[in-house]
Amino acid sequence: MAPAKKTKKTHESINNRLALVMKSGKYTLGYKTVLKTLRNSKGKLIIIANNCPPLRKSEIEYYAMLAKIGVHHYNGNNVDLGTACGKYYRVCCLSIIDPGDSDIIKNMPGDH
Amino acid sequence: MVKFLKPGKAVLLLQGRYAGRKAVIVRNFDDGTRDRPYGHCLVAGIKKYPSKVIRKDNTKKTAKKSRVKAFVKVVNYRHLMPTRYTLDVDLKDVVTVDTLQSKDKKVTASKETKKRLEERFKTGKNRWFFTKLRF
Repeated sequence: MAPAKKTKKTHESINNRLALVMKSGKYTLGYKTVLKTLRNSKGKLIIIANNCPPLRKSEIEYYAMLAKIGVHHYNGNNVDLGTACGKYYRVCCLSIIDPGDSDIIKNMPGDH
Repeated sequence: MVKFLKPGKAVLLLQGRYAGRKAVIVRNFDDGTRDRPYGHCLVAGIKKYPSKVIRKDNTKKTAKKSRVKAFVKVVNYRHLMPTRYTLDVDLKDVVTVDTLQSKDKKVTASKETKKRLEERFKTGKNRWFFTKLRF
């Protein structure tokens, strides 16, 4: 149903939106803090890299299903996601708490 | 954006002596307390699951096999795996914070929990909760 290959344009737009969140919004990076935000329902959107271990991915998705928080599977591995966040380390999963000026929450959650 | 760690939620314990056991949240402390500055909750769970009852068991044997051994514990949220199941058993009056202060209070609380869980098991509802998690 969803397009098998994500077009370059939408991928760039996610990166742009993510950059805006990094600049203006609140977020946490990393598995432990992502679970924390899921437990207290502070997160608005979870982004998971594509090389996240499948058990961890299912666990995050299950928590997000319980908390009714959207999950976005990023089209790139943890190295790419770290770069997209402007960091010099790998990021496997991140949680956006407050999007700031970005409209990532409105545009992305349909994408699972 | 829905809080799901609420009283009545069935959870699995991940760490400790009761790892792999199913429990139900009785009371949450989302922001922690002075002694425990982390999110934690009071759970009541099953220490020993009831065994499988077959048709040819007589009443004495079914009664023996349907016994449930319960435990009461304070657990960090990190050591729980929440599930989509709930178990609405009224344990709020039985399981409180001060029951875990002394051993004999804990024992009486466990005994009362055991009684309530057993009668819930005998009605045949919440069957998932009373089956052992195989791992």
